[in-house]
Amino acid sequence: MRHDRDVRIDGLAHTFDTGDGEGVRALDTIDLTIEPGQFVCLAGPSGCGKTTLLRLVAGFMEPSEGEVRVGGDLVTKPSAERGVVFQQPMLYPWMTVRDNVELGPKLRGVKAADRRETAQRFLDMVGLSDFAERRPYELSGGMQQRCQIARVLTNEPDIILMDEPFGALDALTRERLQDELLEIWRATGSTVLFITHSVDEAVFLGTRVMVMSPRPGRIVLDERAVFSTPEKNLDADEIRALPAYAELVDRVRHAIHQTEPSPSR
Amino acid sequence: MTDTSAAQVSAPAAHAERDPGPRPPRRKSSSGPNPWLVRALVLVGTIAVWWLVASLGLVNPVYLPSPGAVWDAFVQANRTHPIAPGVDRMIRGEYNYYLWEHLLASLQRIGIGVGAGILVGVPLGLVMATVRWVGIVVEPYVNFLRALPPLGYIGLLIAWFGIGDVSKYWLLFLAAFPPITLATIGGVRGVREDMVNAVYTLGANRRQALTTVMFPATLPQVITGIRVATGFAWTTVVAAELNNGIPGIGGLAYQAGTELKTPITIACIIVIGVTALALDALIKLVERTVAPWHGKA
Repeated sequence: MRHDRDVRIDGLAHTFDTGDGEGVRALDTIDLTIEPGQFVCLAGPSGCGKTTLLRLVAGFMEPSEGEVRVGGDLVTKPSAERGVVFQQPMLYPWMTVRDNVELGPKLRGVKAADRRETAQRFLDMVGLSDFAERRPYELSGGMQQRCQIARVLTNEPDIILMDEPFGALDALTRERLQDELLEIWRATGSTVLFITHSVDEAVFLGTRVMVMSPRPGRIVLDERAVFSTPEKNLDADEIRALPAYAELVDRVRHAIHQTEPSPSR
Repeated sequence: MTDTSAAQVSAPAAHAERDPGPRPPRRKSSSGPNPWLVRALVLVGTIAVWWLVASLGLVNPVYLPSPGAVWDAFVQANRTHPIAPGVDRMIRGEYNYYLWEHLLASLQRIGIGVGAGILVGVPLGLVMATVRWVGIVVEPYVNFLRALPPLGYIGLLIAWFGIGDVSKYWLLFLAAFPPITLATIGGVRGVREDMVNAVYTLGANRRQALTTVMFPATLPQVITGIRVATGFAWTTVVAAELNNGIPGIGGLAYQAGTELKTPITIACIIVIGVTALALDALIKLVERTVAPWHGKA
């Protein structure tokens, strides 16, 4: 695979302007290097700034301090090298599912036959081949999210940024999509930064699990997790039954509870 | 990949394709009598009451002719007929034009006025919504223009462009473009930021983001604006034809009214109203065809 560019986050901090001259510090000095092929899960309570971090890496906003580099190139704006899977699927209803999935290569001017082939491969991978000619609004939430994932994969980014992609789905669909995502990741070797507020999801999917404290966001735990790696090749139930898995879930949960200022939140 | 969630959701659609068997009549049982039937009955009732009032002689026919007299006037207005009963001299419809020609003349005027309104209004709205200072400078004027009743400035337009069709085109253009511009601005501002962000993360440049996301996302709002503008232009054209409006359906209605030809006046009013409904239905149909996702996504 061509995913050999690392993502280096250096002294990144962000303060939102609230108009009163003080602002809200959402993110406090993050230093982080994501190696190619890593599946980094970032967990934390809502409002802790994890989405802010993702949006800064995506290039949707300019950081107040610090910088993000992908393979040495400074991030200044969104680009195809950093694919984003949004929590609400940002599919275009005026296009079919297939046209949505083909969009990235089409924008780059890839020939119709070539991009169709690539798109078909990923439509197959996410199980949407039978729905390729449908419109996104004819699909369920889970299928829309699959479509969005296929669209990003088709574009072959250096890193895939996922912002609580399964957060709006019901529990069953969510577990199924986690399994599928794991399979896809094992097959493609993509680099992933995955934001979630679910401890189980983070430990289950990640090769590296991080916990962020709220306001200002700071990384308070950074652990290797090896449950999802291809070498192990365990299925979901086997992974969750491992003693080491339960232990890491406990540690992550503990870290998150410690970050919370009061139990009322 | 086995997938029950996909199967669940696709079930109704797949069911419709594969299995044409009978479906439970869910809709009918819950919504009571057919609304179209009710409407037809009310219409028949209204005409019956009208006919009764007219035939009992309760109202002078100059004020309220019978439905039959209105129908006769409508038919005669579309034919070449004697200028008066028992006279040999023939005349085309009313005032030398058939009624459908009067209607067509008015439709042509709003076609030109609204067409120009779209050509100017949509690009102007796009620019106003995307270039901040243009919006800041121009928006008050568009709002000002929209607030004016067009008939308030028709006199000025006649002074500038004469009493002919040019002043009417200007009037309709000025009536049509503000709603279209404002709807376009609303459409652009209503596009979710992440819809645009998403296309940039797929590798789009600015131009591609406009053509693949901004324009299609704005389309339903633009069509709604055109619908509002067309309705407004239609009421305006009919009124504008008070001055030198022959041929023109509004001109015909007015002229006939001043000559106490009430049957043809009422026929015109009905034609004007039905045309307005037809135009609205046509634009709705266009919207369903070109923006079928509107309201669903």
